[in-house]
Amino acid sequence: MSKEIARFTINGRECELLIEPCTSLLEVLRDHLELTGTKSSCGVGECGSCTVLIDNKPQLSCLTLAITVQGKNIVTIEGLASGNNLHPIQQAFVDCGAVQCGFCTPGMILTAKALLDDNPNPSRDEVKEALSGNLCRCTGYVKIVDAVLAAAQIMKKGGA
Amino acid sequence: MITTLKSFQYFHPNTVEEAVQILNKYGDRAKVLAGGTDLIPSMKRQKIAPQYVVYINDISQLKHIDFGAEEGLRIGALVSHHSIASSSIIREKFQLLAKACNKVGTPHVRRMGTIGGNICMAGPSQDTIPALLVLEAQMKVVSLQGERIIPVDEFFTGPFQTAITGEEIVTEIQIPCPPSDSVADYQWVTKRTVVDETLVGVAALLGMDLDRGVCKGARIALGSVGPKPFRAREAEEIIKGEKLESKLIEAVAQAAAEETKPRSRADYRRREVGLLVKSTLEHLWSQLR
Ligand SMILES: Cc1cc2nc3c(=O)[nH]c(=O)nc-3n(C[C@H](O)[C@H](O)[C@H](O)COP(=O)(O)OP(=O)(O)OC[C@H]3O[C@@H](n4cnc5c(N)ncnc54)[C@H](O)[C@@H]3O)c2cc1C
Ligand code: FES
Ligand code: FES
Repeated sequence: MSKEIARFTINGRECELLIEPCTSLLEVLRDHLELTGTKSSCGVGECGSCTVLIDNKPQLSCLTLAITVQGKNIVTIEGLASGNNLHPIQQAFVDCGAVQCGFCTPGMILTAKALLDDNPNPSRDEVKEALSGNLCRCTGYVKIVDAVLAAAQIMKKGGA
Repeated sequence: MITTLKSFQYFHPNTVEEAVQILNKYGDRAKVLAGGTDLIPSMKRQKIAPQYVVYINDISQLKHIDFGAEEGLRIGALVSHHSIASSSIIREKFQLLAKACNKVGTPHVRRMGTIGGNICMAGPSQDTIPALLVLEAQMKVVSLQGERIIPVDEFFTGPFQTAITGEEIVTEIQIPCPPSDSVADYQWVTKRTVVDETLVGVAALLGMDLDRGVCKGARIALGSVGPKPFRAREAEEIIKGEKLESKLIEAVAQAAAEETKPRSRADYRRREVGLLVKSTLEHLWSQLR
């Protein structure tokens, strides 16, 4: 079937691609743009590892057709650090030992970023609720929640 | 891992008028795409392979939440579960709908998935349906030929089957104000799986005759225990004009369980219906006294 043009902003860069409409945003990110930080797992909306920010909201790129994000602003995990400086949430994940195999980490961090942008001072329960669509097979979640709360403190002090 | 979709031709109408024109042309060969949280997994699992996909999620006409004391609540078909669950008017006056929407999936799924998609998917366990049944909602449906209104209890015709044709879209869910002096709730138990699909869902609304201290009437809807969610009319009859004492609640729970037709795990589901009806009614009755 015929290809169509998709235009959107990805990590601050304008991007224009010729794609088949049946291509998911996840495939475009990983296979066309080589942004492999976004992870592919269940493919059907259950695990959150493919989470990206679309207009600052966490969305599942495996369930999103790339052709539908026309004109939108997409942020992936590659878009968070500035140069060699990690984003405070990334740094907190490292410092708190919240990363084991790392497969869930990009989705966790982006979901956490949307939460903290909305609610800079979340309770532990609010963090758990916000992350409840992101599954982790390694950590048991405690250190992930610790990391998000630690990042909130640092960002409030102007670390972001 | 399921990754790829079969090819299709893509349309992205910006208005309802454009959408129904496209659907009029392609009918059942086309599928409407809203949030994609049900349709994309079904396509990936190759349960369906539409030749044409009509993406309606950019239609700004269908994203409203309006409320008036006379007209009641009007929800655009493209309003997300997240927006419903966080709407102050819905939380105040239609709390069980907010609660049902907040049960759906995960925060990501609630932000992407729409109420229109939930009802049009029409699965037996879809969580908004029992709430819409007891609220006696109706669906506004539009095609090139014009519009029609379908009451919720005529909307579902079987598992994953609705009364709308391939040329129609649902544009709005209309919900009258609940009767005065009434309370309502939605309770559920889930399967223990990654998506926590509802195993049994119970929505109930009790209307109260405050002067006589009795129940004027009850509406009880059951999800996931038959081919489609339905009102347990026999159980409802038992309550009319009565005080909800524990013996009566037992009888109602029993009657509701007997009205179910679960396809699998029937004994377990029936027992859960009894328990959930009981706990829902006890909870509501305690609010009314
Ligand atoms: C991980 C996960 C967990 C989930 N958990 C739950 C849960 O707990 N409870 C629950 O009820 N659901 C659950 N779902 C299912 C789903 O999220 C909801 O049913 C959602 O509301 C579907 O809406 P959508 O906008 O994504 O629909 P889509 O996937 O876009 O569409 C669904 C169907 O409806 C049709 N359609 C959509 N909008 C219209 C319209 N306006 N007019 C006509 N036809 C239309 C489509 O053609 C398609 O057939 C879950 C899904 C996932 C992925
Ligand atoms: S890969 Fe998208 S939710 Fe699992
Ligand atoms: S760190 Fe391995 S899945 Fe979370």
